[in-house]
Amino acid sequence: MLKTFSIGGIHPNDSKISAGCAIEVLPLPSKVYISVAQHLGAPANPVVAVGDKVKAGQVIAEPAGFISAYVHSSVSGTVKSIGPRKDLAGNNMTHIEIDVEGDEWADGIDLSDTLVTAIPEDNKEILDKIKMCGVVGLGGATFPAHVKLCPPPGKKADCLILNGAECEPYLTSDYRIMLERSKEIVVGAAIMKQVLGGCPAVIGIEENKPEAIKVMTAAVAELQASAKGYDGISVMPLKKKYPQGGEKQLIDAVMKRQVKSMGLPIDVGAVVQNVATSLAVYEAVQKNMPLVTNVLTVTGDCLPMENQHNYKFRIGMPLSYIAEHAGGIPEEAAKIISGGPMMGKAIANLDAATVKGSSSLLYLTAAQTVRGVESACIRCGKCAEACPMGLEPFLLQKYARNNMTDELEENAVQDCIECGCCLYSCPANIPLLDIIRIAKGDVIRIIRTRK
Amino acid sequence: MEKLLVSPSPHLHTKTSTKSLMRDVVIALLPAVVVSVLFYGWSELLVLGVSVASCVLLEYLITKYLLKGTCTIGDWSAVITGVLLALNLPATTPWWVVFIGAVFAIGVAKMTFGGLGQNLFNPAIAGRVFLLISFPTYMTDWTKPQGFIGNAVTDAYTGATPLGLVSEGGAGAVEGMDYMNMLFLNIGGSAGELSAVALLVGFVYLLARKVIRPYITLSIWATVAVFSGIFWLINPAEFTDPLFNLLTGGLLLGSIFMATDYVTSPMSNWGGVVFGVGIGLITMLIRYFGAYPEGVSFAILIMNSVVPLLNKWFHTKKYGR
Repeated sequence: MLKTFSIGGIHPNDSKISAGCAIEVLPLPSKVYISVAQHLGAPANPVVAVGDKVKAGQVIAEPAGFISAYVHSSVSGTVKSIGPRKDLAGNNMTHIEIDVEGDEWADGIDLSDTLVTAIPEDNKEILDKIKMCGVVGLGGATFPAHVKLCPPPGKKADCLILNGAECEPYLTSDYRIMLERSKEIVVGAAIMKQVLGGCPAVIGIEENKPEAIKVMTAAVAELQASAKGYDGISVMPLKKKYPQGGEKQLIDAVMKRQVKSMGLPIDVGAVVQNVATSLAVYEAVQKNMPLVTNVLTVTGDCLPMENQHNYKFRIGMPLSYIAEHAGGIPEEAAKIISGGPMMGKAIANLDAATVKGSSSLLYLTAAQTVRGVESACIRCGKCAEACPMGLEPFLLQKYARNNMTDELEENAVQDCIECGCCLYSCPANIPLLDIIRIAKGDVIRIIRTRK
Repeated sequence: MEKLLVSPSPHLHTKTSTKSLMRDVVIALLPAVVVSVLFYGWSELLVLGVSVASCVLLEYLITKYLLKGTCTIGDWSAVITGVLLALNLPATTPWWVVFIGAVFAIGVAKMTFGGLGQNLFNPAIAGRVFLLISFPTYMTDWTKPQGFIGNAVTDAYTGATPLGLVSEGGAGAVEGMDYMNMLFLNIGGSAGELSAVALLVGFVYLLARKVIRPYITLSIWATVAVFSGIFWLINPAEFTDPLFNLLTGGLLLGSIFMATDYVTSPMSNWGGVVFGVGIGLITMLIRYFGAYPEGVSFAILIMNSVVPLLNKWFHTKKYGR
């Protein structure tokens, strides 16, 4: 019996159409627009001026607080402008526009493919490198990685969990890096494990990716046989169920522990990092390579097979550039999503530029995505059955529609992880999550002001 | 592509809809419908036809002219009420009595509360109990009409249901009754009670299609089996045995199709278990000590009224709490 999380979950068709497409490197565009807010926390402060010459990998914005991150130029060229531009969410955010000239990298960055397996001994040096290279969590939340790797005093990590679940339908970028960069990911895991004090590391991968399970297991075995510091790393196949890759769900699946409401994973001794983050940690620590590239899936049922891609992109590339390179927007596309179909953002146009956490450009047709007409709740309880947090969405939406904040808090609306299982499952097309999301924001604000 | 759609996540939706769920319930009822029509013939077809047609028509008229809102007959729920009401009546019920039952089921029990999703009581059962109290003679006339096939199996007991016999003559009255007959072709009773196997096939279908969860049904069965088992072991001469109680008096029809009605049953699994135990207990108390030979309908109605409380008391197990 394969492990999985214990409460709720759904089984949407996984639609991994682009799984067979090897990672291709996108050619450089003529311009990039690099946002200063590519991470959770305070937007970074630009440290370059218009007209400055920059090299790829050079710092162009510095963190503006404890929870913030460095931003680097992904290309070499001249800073053309610094000013507001619409980001993926449609909000105005400071972007640094750079005209691309050649492809010259900052000093000290190792651009070779050579695998470096020897792990530096000094943990402080490792954490500094992770911080200086602007590594953030690439599983969706883009939380600065070095913060997560420094448990607060009194808390100890019992297990590092690498998230290779990729439970969102359609996305295949994590799958591809697990196949093509398996050893680098394992080295990254060993580095993070050492920083955390030598706890075991478990790489969780869903059973619908047998090839990734095989390749990652082999990579772990090979590194354990040939280098030091790789003991205690293992691959754990998981049952296919959405949202397996949710942090709280993955901890439940792998460690059989549950994070308390409003608590942090480290409270139960868990640190969760995405496999893509592990690769970024490897690049930062072993190669001095800042986080300026990532892998993104271009996919959709309405996209011809030859136009399905997994691209290695430089951050700041406009989505329109990537879409054109992949053969244009398909006729039937009614909605374009940045991210997975369950939690990703629908975007109004392709003007926005890619960020560190960009994972996909997904085209959905009207038939797939247009919601049905809302009808009466038939009290089937399917939303409560699907909720991986054990909440009762039918009840929460009722309270939310009546602004009953006390009842909402009692029934744990603040625990909602916005995975979308309730809305996905509702046979009456009730916009459960839309309503609950707003109520959750209100209740969390109330809880904060109380403190 | 002209303009892109923008909406909050999630961007995908299950294919399961209210309509498809309700249609699945109708499909699950088909085996029982087919068996009842085969064995009760034209009169059963008439009961079914009048019941379904009047339920759908009444809901149409009420939503359209009385409530002046969206017409909801497309969701198939009125069809379910119609089929269930018909299966809960003797095949000999006159058409106008069936119609009155439909008026009460849809007009009173369902639409006065606000239609699908709002009703406190299961409409079909409410309709049946209304008829049982208003027209007791029609509702207990178990004369067997001429069916399309078979006659022999049922001849011996024509004129009374097994539970009716027990009610009058004690457990001895049904001694030697063949359970295999009851499993496949029950004797006298409401049309839907005819074949346990047909109902069980429907149950398996509903579970396989994930339309219902098994907790309510199984806890009813377990309660009835345990309760009657204890009494039967103490005094087999007076009390009927567990299997007899499970197979007769509409217990299967009620526990599979009516106690599991989404709207009128608890939302949580534990709430469902308590709901089922309550139905089982009340059913057996009525059967052993009450005035009516069976008791499933009353038991379900009584427990329907407790559902809001059960929903308040029993919640799902929350993550990390």
